Amino acid sequence: MRRVREFVRILLGLLGELSDENAYRRHLAAHGRPHSREEWRRFSDERLGAKYLRAKCC
Amino acid sequence: MKRIFGHLVWAALAIVAAFCLGGIAIQRGEPINSIWLVLAAACTYAVGFRFYAKFIAVRVMALNDQRATPAERLRNGHDFEPTNKWIVFGHHFAAIAGPGPLVGPTLAAQFGYLPGTLWIIAGAVLGGCVQDFVILFCSMRRDGKSLGQMAREEIGKVGGITALLTVLFIMVILLAVVALVVVNALKGSPWGTFTIAATMPIAVLMGIYLRYWRPGKVLECSAIGFVLVVLSIFGGQWVSRSATLAPVFTLSGMALAWSVIVYGFFASALPVWLLLAPRDYLSTFVKLGVVLMLGVGILFVRPDLQLPAFTRFTDGTGPIFAGKIFPFCFITIACGAISGFHSLISSGTTPKLIAKEWHAWPVGYGSMALESFVGIMAMIAACVLQPGIYFAVNSPGGVVGATPQAAVETISSWGFPVTVTAMETLAADVGEQSLFYRTGGAPSLALGMAHIFAASGGGKAILGFWYHFAIMFEALFILTIIDAGTRVGRFMLQDLLGHVHKPLGRTSWMPGVIGASAAIVLAWGYFLVQGVRDPLGGINSLWPLFGIANQLLAAIALCVATTILVKMHRARFLWITCLPLAWLVTVCYTAGWQKIFSPLPRMGFLAQADQLEAALRAGKIAAAQVAATEAQIFNNRLDAVVCGIFLVLVTTILVDSIRLWIGILSGRRAAHVVEAPFVLSRLRPEEL
Repeated sequence: MRRVREFVRILLGLLGELSDENAYRRHLAAHGRPHSREEWRRFSDERLGAKYLRAKCC
Repeated sequence: MKRIFGHLVWAALAIVAAFCLGGIAIQRGEPINSIWLVLAAACTYAVGFRFYAKFIAVRVMALNDQRATPAERLRNGHDFEPTNKWIVFGHHFAAIAGPGPLVGPTLAAQFGYLPGTLWIIAGAVLGGCVQDFVILFCSMRRDGKSLGQMAREEIGKVGGITALLTVLFIMVILLAVVALVVVNALKGSPWGTFTIAATMPIAVLMGIYLRYWRPGKVLECSAIGFVLVVLSIFGGQWVSRSATLAPVFTLSGMALAWSVIVYGFFASALPVWLLLAPRDYLSTFVKLGVVLMLGVGILFVRPDLQLPAFTRFTDGTGPIFAGKIFPFCFITIACGAISGFHSLISSGTTPKLIAKEWHAWPVGYGSMALESFVGIMAMIAACVLQPGIYFAVNSPGGVVGATPQAAVETISSWGFPVTVTAMETLAADVGEQSLFYRTGGAPSLALGMAHIFAASGGGKAILGFWYHFAIMFEALFILTIIDAGTRVGRFMLQDLLGHVHKPLGRTSWMPGVIGASAAIVLAWGYFLVQGVRDPLGGINSLWPLFGIANQLLAAIALCVATTILVKMHRARFLWITCLPLAWLVTVCYTAGWQKIFSPLPRMGFLAQADQLEAALRAGKIAAAQVAATEAQIFNNRLDAVVCGIFLVLVTTILVDSIRLWIGILSGRRAAHVVEAPFVLSRLRPEEL
């Protein structure tokens, strides 16, 4: 059961990382701000701007 | 006792690997089961990971978990963040997994299943995985620096500029060739065209949903997007049966090419949150899900391979692309064994997420082994088709004959029987009007995948759904590569143009944005249109060009890696990166030379241009075809020049590197290692 829980935790962590939701949580914690539409926009503009400066793999 | 048991398990795995590799190499005359390939690959990767990669990690890199990684030292909660190793593994794998390992092995199956399979396994274990692992290590020890930065610092200014220029050139060819794969998969297919067209408004809807309705709910939004995309596949079936709508979505290759070009321009100029980012999220989840499904499907169905171990086309007369096994099997497989592009990822996001140095072992080496396994699955999916069908789908009309009857006669005369009726039945089963001349690899891969998925449950009745699901999966992430690649190309060009006229370098100045986007789109669009017009199918000239470019980028990465190893250990471990480098250089230079100078018109760019010019001068070309022939002559010469530029760029960095290695080994130059200083790690396992 402990292994299943660990697997689910890692799976959710991976999904959160791929979807940038984890990065957003870290962003809110680092700046000590609550979630809001404006905050998400600020985060996503900065995050996506940096993300798409790099080519995607072939 | 535990130690002895461990040794026995690894010995057993090594024996299974050797037995299965021997089995697939010796077996002739009757179909072989795909499980042989799966076991041969999985066991070889496991042994390579446990012994070869660990040897490199311990003896060469001296990985040390006591040493703080950039993720810990420079932690900012944004780019630099210590992350659980399996999450980084998945993240890295999602970033390196592209269409290359799916399309390359599918095309290389023209030689039979054996040459490609052996190269995918051996190339990955000794070359591709090593490249990814060493570059990840080098970047991790240098605060997550990029390949270009490392090339500049470790080799010199010339190396840095050469690496940047090579990436820009490769991107143009890469975008053209992947766009051609999509165009060839969708031409004359209202079902596929509708489904792919529907992904665009779906992505925009997702973008608006995330921006205005439910900010931050990316997973929820992606789930909705996935449901809508699956519905669009059913919608596509309905459209293909509609007398009114089917003609609207039945487009020629040229119409599709222009649609993709116009789309690429807008996608690169629009705000990323509106189209590019939501589709990237969706395509990442779909990509991982489908790869997993394909793996499970192969294990569940365990199909027999219908293609032989070797075909007659090992002599270089293949209909899909011209050229002998050496060097073209290696060039065509490309990313399934070694990919230069991976070095950009290994020196990009990933080193900034690694929490402990030893995590680089599974992330760097293991992810590439998994990517290579995707290549094996693509090879299986291509080889489960009847050989006659495989060649009928993948061969251009210019080689096998312009009518279905002529095509089946030519293909049957090669010893691969196929009939027009069989092709029509298959096309009807998957809801297509025709499956002849669908070059590019995507349709035959989709057929193989549909065959495996349908055999897992549902049978023939849902073959059409799975075929279009596979096409949607391939097109979805190829279009994401086109969006993102055009955008990156635009930034690189603006960066260069900024030195000429400052406002052109500003990414917020609209005339600069529009001009640079148009320039990049026109650059890859030119090669795309050239590929669509090519009577030999386009893939014949563009895929080898892409393969050469990609492998040459890997050669640049290995030059950087070798330079760092020489500085660390002198000549002692030079062979680890030098052997794959020497192989790549030999393969790429041979392929490049043959593509430029081969006297055979189907193979050599210049020979084909000369042949067409001679026909033009002799008046053998119809008046209506003169302009097209002149364009074809120019395009062949342009391809030869582009290929030559790639070789010159890599020769530059290679000569520069060898000069440096000789200087260091002879003691004339100082071996200055520019690693970040050692800082003791204070990161605890429970923090991950």
